[in-house]
Amino acid sequence: MAETSVRSATLMAVGLTLAFALMPETAGTGPTSAQSTRQAESLAAWQEIATVLQHPRCLNCHQKDSPLQGDMRRPHIPHVVRGTDGHGVSAMRCGNCHNQMGNNPTSRTPGAPHWALAPASMLWQGLSSGELCRQLKDPARNGNRSPQALIEHMETDPLVGWGWNPGAGLEPVPVARKEFVEHMRAWVAGGTPCPK
Amino acid sequence: MITLNVNGKPHQLDINPEMPLLWALRDKLNLTGTKYGCGHGMCGACVVHIDGEAARSCSIMAGEAAGKKITTIEGVSGKVAEAVIGAWQRLNVVQCGYCQCGQIMSAIVLLSANKKPTDEDITLGMDGNICRCGTYVRIRRAIHEAAKALA
Repeated sequence: MAETSVRSATLMAVGLTLAFALMPETAGTGPTSAQSTRQAESLAAWQEIATVLQHPRCLNCHQKDSPLQGDMRRPHIPHVVRGTDGHGVSAMRCGNCHNQMGNNPTSRTPGAPHWALAPASMLWQGLSSGELCRQLKDPARNGNRSPQALIEHMETDPLVGWGWNPGAGLEPVPVARKEFVEHMRAWVAGGTPCPK
Repeated sequence: MITLNVNGKPHQLDINPEMPLLWALRDKLNLTGTKYGCGHGMCGACVVHIDGEAARSCSIMAGEAAGKKITTIEGVSGKVAEAVIGAWQRLNVVQCGYCQCGQIMSAIVLLSANKKPTDEDITLGMDGNICRCGTYVRIRRAIHEAAKALA
Protein backbone atom coordinates (compact mmCIF):
# COMPACT_ATOMS: atom_id res chain seq x y z
CA MET A 1 0.00 0.00 0.00
CA ALA A 2 2.73 2.42 0.98
CA GLU A 3 4.65 1.48 -2.15
CA THR A 4 1.61 2.26 -4.34
CA SER A 5 1.12 5.64 -2.65
CA VAL A 6 4.73 6.60 -3.17
CA ARG A 7 4.57 5.52 -6.83
CA SER A 8 1.32 7.46 -7.36
CA ALA A 9 2.75 10.53 -5.75
CA THR A 10 5.87 10.31 -7.88
CA LEU A 11 3.89 9.82 -11.04
CA MET A 12 1.73 12.82 -10.13
CA ALA A 13 4.79 14.95 -9.47
CA VAL A 14 6.37 14.00 -12.78
CA GLY A 15 3.11 14.55 -14.60
CA LEU A 16 2.57 17.96 -13.10
CA THR A 17 6.12 19.01 -13.85
CA LEU A 18 5.74 17.98 -17.46
CA ALA A 19 2.40 19.75 -17.68
CA PHE A 20 3.87 23.01 -16.38
CA ALA A 21 6.87 22.65 -18.66
CA LEU A 22 4.68 22.17 -21.71
CA MET A 23 2.12 24.85 -20.86
CA PRO A 24 1.81 27.74 -23.36
CA GLU A 25 4.25 30.53 -22.56
CA THR A 26 1.41 33.02 -22.20
CA ALA A 27 -0.59 31.43 -19.41
CA GLY A 28 -0.25 33.62 -16.33
CA THR A 29 2.65 35.56 -17.83
CA GLY A 30 1.05 37.95 -20.40
CA PRO A 31 -1.70 38.40 -23.03
CA THR A 32 -2.24 36.18 -26.01
CA SER A 33 -2.13 37.85 -29.39
CA ALA A 34 -5.93 37.66 -29.50
CA GLN A 35 -6.17 39.42 -26.16
CA SER A 36 -3.68 42.07 -27.33
CA THR A 37 -5.77 42.77 -30.40
CA ARG A 38 -8.96 43.11 -28.38
CA GLN A 39 -7.19 45.43 -25.94
CA ALA A 40 -5.89 47.60 -28.78
CA GLU A 41 -9.33 47.75 -30.39
CA SER A 42 -10.89 48.64 -27.07
CA LEU A 43 -8.35 51.42 -26.49
CA ALA A 44 -8.95 52.71 -30.02
CA ALA A 45 -12.67 52.75 -29.25
CA TRP A 46 -11.90 54.79 -26.12
CA GLN A 47 -10.08 57.43 -28.20
CA GLU A 48 -13.25 57.86 -30.27
CA ILE A 49 -15.34 58.07 -27.10
CA ALA A 50 -12.99 60.71 -25.67
CA THR A 51 -13.40 62.96 -28.74
CA VAL A 52 -17.14 62.96 -28.08
CA LEU A 53 -16.91 63.60 -24.34
CA GLN A 54 -14.40 66.42 -24.85
CA HIS A 55 -16.49 68.08 -27.56
CA PRO A 56 -18.14 71.39 -26.49
CA ARG A 57 -21.62 69.84 -26.65
CA CYS A 58 -20.66 67.64 -23.69
CA LEU A 59 -17.78 69.37 -21.97
CA ASN A 60 -19.51 72.77 -21.76
CA CYS A 61 -21.75 71.43 -18.99
CA HIS A 62 -19.35 68.99 -17.34
CA GLN A 63 -17.83 71.91 -15.47
CA LYS A 64 -17.18 72.76 -11.84
CA ASP A 65 -19.38 75.74 -11.09
CA SER A 66 -20.35 77.56 -14.26
CA PRO A 67 -21.12 76.28 -17.76
CA LEU A 68 -19.27 77.21 -20.91
CA GLN A 69 -21.14 78.35 -23.99
CA GLY A 70 -20.89 77.81 -27.72
CA ASP A 71 -18.30 76.21 -29.93
CA MET A 72 -15.82 78.80 -28.70
CA ARG A 73 -16.36 77.50 -25.13
CA ARG A 74 -16.61 81.00 -23.65
CA PRO A 75 -17.98 81.64 -20.15
CA HIS A 76 -21.79 81.49 -20.26
CA ILE A 77 -23.45 84.84 -20.91
CA PRO A 78 -25.27 85.87 -18.77
CA HIS A 79 -23.18 84.68 -15.83
CA VAL A 80 -24.79 81.66 -14.18
CA VAL A 81 -23.59 79.35 -11.42
CA ARG A 82 -24.35 75.84 -10.18
CA GLY A 83 -26.18 76.72 -6.98
CA THR A 84 -27.12 74.03 -4.49
CA ASP A 85 -28.91 71.74 -6.92
CA GLY A 86 -26.95 72.19 -10.15
CA HIS A 87 -29.83 74.16 -11.68
CA GLY A 88 -28.72 77.71 -10.85
CA VAL A 89 -29.71 80.33 -8.27
CA SER A 90 -32.82 82.51 -7.65
CA ALA A 91 -33.70 84.45 -10.80
CA MET A 92 -30.91 82.80 -12.85
CA ARG A 93 -31.92 79.15 -13.04
CA CYS A 94 -31.30 77.00 -16.09
CA GLY A 95 -35.00 76.47 -16.80
CA ASN A 96 -35.58 80.22 -16.79
CA CYS A 97 -34.24 80.29 -20.35
CA HIS A 98 -33.68 76.72 -21.52
CA ASN A 99 -36.87 74.98 -22.65
CA GLN A 100 -37.48 71.36 -21.68
CA MET A 101 -39.38 70.98 -24.95
CA GLY A 102 -36.32 71.69 -27.11
CA ASN A 103 -34.30 74.35 -28.91
CA ASN A 104 -35.89 77.77 -29.41
CA PRO A 105 -35.33 78.69 -33.07
CA THR A 106 -36.20 82.37 -32.47
CA SER A 107 -34.02 83.17 -29.49
CA ARG A 108 -31.50 80.47 -30.49
CA THR A 109 -31.46 79.24 -26.90
CA PRO A 110 -30.74 75.51 -26.86
CA GLY A 111 -33.06 73.30 -24.86
CA ALA A 112 -33.62 69.69 -23.80
CA PRO A 113 -35.19 67.76 -20.91
CA HIS A 114 -33.55 68.23 -17.48
CA TRP A 115 -31.19 70.95 -18.76
CA ALA A 116 -28.58 71.58 -16.07
CA LEU A 117 -24.89 71.29 -15.24
CA ALA A 118 -23.71 67.72 -14.82
CA PRO A 119 -23.34 66.72 -11.16
CA ALA A 120 -20.19 68.06 -9.53
CA SER A 121 -18.80 64.51 -9.31
CA MET A 122 -18.76 64.43 -13.13
CA LEU A 123 -16.37 67.32 -13.62
CA TRP A 124 -14.52 66.60 -16.87
CA GLN A 125 -12.82 69.93 -17.56
CA GLY A 126 -9.02 69.67 -17.47
CA LEU A 127 -8.85 65.88 -17.45
CA SER A 128 -6.49 63.97 -19.70
CA SER A 129 -7.88 61.14 -21.81
CA GLY A 130 -6.71 58.60 -19.25
CA GLU A 131 -8.13 60.54 -16.30
CA LEU A 132 -11.44 60.96 -18.10
CA CYS A 133 -11.52 57.24 -18.85
CA ARG A 134 -10.92 56.27 -15.22
CA GLN A 135 -13.52 58.81 -14.08
CA LEU A 136 -16.16 57.59 -16.50
CA LYS A 137 -16.03 54.00 -15.31
CA ASP A 138 -15.80 54.84 -11.59
CA PRO A 139 -19.25 54.26 -10.03
CA ALA A 140 -18.45 56.86 -7.36
CA ARG A 141 -18.09 59.48 -10.09
CA ASN A 142 -20.46 58.36 -12.81
CA GLY A 143 -23.80 58.32 -11.04
CA ASN A 144 -23.23 54.77 -9.78
CA ARG A 145 -23.43 53.32 -13.29
CA SER A 146 -22.26 49.91 -14.41
CA PRO A 147 -20.61 49.72 -17.85
CA GLN A 148 -23.92 48.52 -19.27
CA ALA A 149 -25.76 51.41 -17.64
CA LEU A 150 -23.20 53.79 -19.15
CA ILE A 151 -23.97 52.45 -22.61
CA GLU A 152 -27.69 52.86 -21.96
CA HIS A 153 -27.18 56.42 -20.74
CA MET A 154 -25.24 57.38 -23.87
CA GLU A 155 -27.78 55.64 -26.08
CA THR A 156 -31.06 56.85 -24.62
CA ASP A 157 -30.74 59.92 -22.39
CA PRO A 158 -32.46 62.89 -24.08
CA LEU A 159 -30.04 65.52 -22.73
CA VAL A 160 -27.12 63.45 -24.02
CA GLY A 161 -29.05 63.17 -27.30
CA TRP A 162 -29.30 66.96 -27.55
CA GLY A 163 -25.58 66.92 -28.45
CA TRP A 164 -26.55 65.63 -31.89
CA ASN A 165 -29.35 68.15 -32.37
CA PRO A 166 -28.13 71.34 -30.74
CA GLY A 167 -29.89 73.89 -32.96
CA ALA A 168 -28.61 76.62 -35.26
CA GLY A 169 -25.13 78.01 -34.67
CA LEU A 170 -23.81 75.04 -32.70
CA GLU A 171 -21.78 72.16 -34.10
CA PRO A 172 -23.38 68.76 -33.43
CA VAL A 173 -21.16 66.03 -31.98
CA PRO A 174 -19.05 64.99 -35.00
CA VAL A 175 -19.32 61.23 -34.37
CA ALA A 176 -22.81 59.88 -35.14
CA ARG A 177 -24.65 58.72 -32.03
CA LYS A 178 -25.11 55.18 -33.34
CA GLU A 179 -21.38 54.94 -34.05
CA PHE A 180 -20.55 56.43 -30.65
CA VAL A 181 -22.66 53.77 -28.92
CA GLU A 182 -20.84 51.07 -30.89
CA HIS A 183 -17.53 52.48 -29.66
CA MET A 184 -18.94 52.34 -26.11
CA ARG A 185 -19.85 48.68 -26.62
CA ALA A 186 -16.39 47.89 -27.98
CA TRP A 187 -14.75 49.66 -25.06
CA VAL A 188 -16.89 47.80 -22.54
CA ALA A 189 -16.40 44.45 -24.31
CA GLY A 190 -12.65 44.92 -24.01
CA GLY A 191 -12.91 45.47 -20.28
CA THR A 192 -12.96 49.32 -20.35
CA PRO A 193 -9.19 49.78 -20.66
CA CYS A 194 -7.76 53.24 -20.15
CA PRO A 195 -4.70 54.96 -21.59
CA LYS A 196 -2.12 56.05 -19.04
CA MET B 1 -54.45 75.96 -29.80
CA ILE B 2 -52.35 76.93 -26.79
CA THR B 3 -53.92 77.91 -23.48
CA LEU B 4 -51.88 80.40 -21.52
CA ASN B 5 -52.89 81.19 -17.95
CA VAL B 6 -51.76 84.79 -17.49
CA ASN B 7 -52.32 86.82 -14.32
CA GLY B 8 -55.04 84.40 -13.25
CA LYS B 9 -56.95 84.29 -16.53
CA PRO B 10 -56.83 81.58 -19.19
CA HIS B 11 -56.37 82.66 -22.80
CA GLN B 12 -56.79 80.38 -25.79
CA LEU B 13 -54.42 81.38 -28.55
CA ASP B 14 -54.09 79.99 -32.05
CA ILE B 15 -50.31 80.24 -32.16
CA ASN B 16 -47.29 78.13 -32.97
CA PRO B 17 -46.10 76.43 -29.75
CA GLU B 18 -42.57 77.63 -30.59
CA MET B 19 -43.62 81.29 -30.47
CA PRO B 20 -41.65 83.14 -27.80
CA LEU B 21 -43.94 83.73 -24.83
CA LEU B 22 -42.95 87.42 -25.01
CA TRP B 23 -44.59 87.78 -28.42
CA ALA B 24 -47.76 86.10 -27.21
CA LEU B 25 -47.91 88.39 -24.16
CA ARG B 26 -47.25 91.62 -26.03
CA ASP B 27 -48.81 91.04 -29.46
CA LYS B 28 -51.71 88.73 -28.66
CA LEU B 29 -52.64 89.79 -25.14
CA ASN B 30 -51.57 93.46 -25.22
CA LEU B 31 -49.57 93.07 -22.04
CA THR B 32 -46.79 95.44 -23.00
CA GLY B 33 -45.20 95.92 -19.57
CA THR B 34 -42.82 93.08 -20.42
CA LYS B 35 -40.17 94.39 -22.79
CA TYR B 36 -38.17 93.10 -25.74
CA GLY B 37 -34.52 93.99 -25.14
CA CYS B 38 -32.33 91.48 -26.94
CA GLY B 39 -34.45 88.49 -27.88
CA HIS B 40 -31.72 86.10 -26.71
CA GLY B 41 -32.24 85.77 -22.97
CA MET B 42 -29.23 87.95 -22.21
CA CYS B 43 -30.63 91.27 -20.98
CA GLY B 44 -33.53 90.39 -18.67
CA ALA B 45 -36.00 93.02 -19.91
CA CYS B 46 -38.45 90.22 -20.69
CA VAL B 47 -38.52 88.51 -17.28
CA VAL B 48 -41.93 87.23 -16.15
CA HIS B 49 -42.84 84.59 -13.57
CA ILE B 50 -43.84 81.04 -14.47
CA ASP B 51 -45.05 79.04 -11.45
CA GLY B 52 -43.24 81.53 -9.22
CA GLU B 53 -39.87 81.18 -10.94
CA ALA B 54 -38.26 83.83 -13.13
CA ALA B 55 -38.63 83.14 -16.84
CA ARG B 56 -37.11 85.00 -19.77
CA SER B 57 -40.14 85.21 -22.00
CA CYS B 58 -38.14 85.89 -25.16
CA SER B 59 -36.51 82.51 -24.68
CA ILE B 60 -39.34 80.45 -23.17
CA MET B 61 -41.70 79.18 -25.85
CA ALA B 62 -45.49 79.42 -25.56
CA GLY B 63 -45.74 75.62 -25.62
CA GLU B 64 -43.34 75.40 -22.69
CA ALA B 65 -45.47 77.86 -20.67
CA ALA B 66 -48.82 76.28 -21.53
CA GLY B 67 -50.70 74.95 -18.53
CA LYS B 68 -48.50 76.86 -16.08
CA LYS B 69 -49.19 79.95 -13.98
CA ILE B 70 -47.77 82.97 -15.78
CA THR B 71 -47.48 86.33 -14.01
CA THR B 72 -46.42 89.54 -15.72
CA ILE B 73 -45.50 92.91 -14.21
CA GLU B 74 -49.13 93.94 -14.67
CA GLY B 75 -50.36 91.13 -12.42
CA VAL B 76 -47.67 90.73 -9.80
CA SER B 77 -48.86 90.96 -6.18
CA GLY B 78 -48.13 89.91 -2.63
CA LYS B 79 -45.88 91.03 0.24
CA VAL B 80 -42.62 90.64 -1.63
CA ALA B 81 -43.89 92.48 -4.71
CA GLU B 82 -45.18 95.32 -2.52
CA ALA B 83 -41.87 95.58 -0.69
CA VAL B 84 -39.88 95.64 -3.93
CA ILE B 85 -42.11 98.15 -5.71
CA GLY B 86 -42.26 100.30 -2.57
CA ALA B 87 -38.47 100.37 -2.30
CA TRP B 88 -38.13 101.11 -6.00
CA GLN B 89 -40.44 104.10 -5.60
CA ARG B 90 -38.89 105.43 -2.37
CA LEU B 91 -35.37 105.25 -3.76
CA ASN B 92 -36.35 106.59 -7.18
CA VAL B 93 -34.53 103.71 -8.84
CA VAL B 94 -35.98 104.14 -12.32
CA GLN B 95 -34.30 106.27 -15.00
CA CYS B 96 -35.52 105.53 -18.51
CA GLY B 97 -37.47 102.58 -17.17
CA TYR B 98 -36.96 100.15 -20.05
CA CYS B 99 -35.21 97.45 -18.03
CA GLN B 100 -37.06 98.03 -14.82
CA CYS B 101 -40.02 95.68 -15.17
CA GLY B 102 -37.55 92.87 -15.70
CA GLN B 103 -35.41 94.11 -12.79
CA ILE B 104 -38.44 94.16 -10.49
CA MET B 105 -39.62 90.71 -11.58
CA SER B 106 -36.14 89.25 -10.96
CA ALA B 107 -35.84 91.02 -7.61
CA ILE B 108 -39.17 89.56 -6.48
CA VAL B 109 -37.96 86.04 -7.24
CA LEU B 110 -34.65 86.72 -5.50
CA LEU B 111 -36.33 87.99 -2.31
CA SER B 112 -39.04 85.33 -2.34
CA ALA B 113 -36.34 82.66 -2.08
CA ASN B 114 -33.95 84.61 0.14
CA LYS B 115 -35.28 87.21 2.55
CA LYS B 116 -31.81 88.42 3.56
CA PRO B 117 -29.66 88.39 0.45
CA THR B 118 -26.02 89.29 0.68
CA ASP B 119 -24.37 91.50 -1.90
CA GLU B 120 -23.09 88.36 -3.58
CA ASP B 121 -26.57 86.84 -3.65
CA ILE B 122 -27.86 90.02 -5.29
CA THR B 123 -25.05 90.00 -7.86
CA LEU B 124 -25.62 86.35 -8.78
CA GLY B 125 -29.39 86.69 -8.84
CA MET B 126 -29.54 89.95 -10.77
CA ASP B 127 -26.50 89.44 -13.03
CA GLY B 128 -28.69 88.79 -16.04
CA ASN B 129 -30.63 92.05 -15.79
CA ILE B 130 -28.80 94.73 -17.71
CA CYS B 131 -29.42 98.48 -17.28
CA ARG B 132 -28.02 100.87 -19.88
CA CYS B 133 -28.70 103.82 -17.61
CA GLY B 134 -26.50 102.21 -14.99
CA THR B 135 -28.83 102.32 -11.98
CA TYR B 136 -27.24 99.19 -10.56
CA VAL B 137 -26.24 100.89 -7.31
CA ARG B 138 -29.82 101.97 -6.66
CA ILE B 139 -31.19 98.58 -7.65
CA ARG B 140 -28.90 96.91 -5.13
CA ARG B 141 -29.82 99.43 -2.43
CA ALA B 142 -33.54 98.99 -3.16
CA ILE B 143 -33.25 95.21 -2.83
CA HIS B 144 -31.60 95.64 0.59
CA GLU B 145 -34.37 98.12 1.52
CA ALA B 146 -37.07 95.70 0.45
CA ALA B 147 -35.38 92.95 2.46
CA LYS B 148 -35.46 95.20 5.55
CA ALA B 149 -39.17 95.86 4.99
CA LEU B 150 -39.82 92.13 4.76
CA ALA B 151 -37.85 91.28 7.91
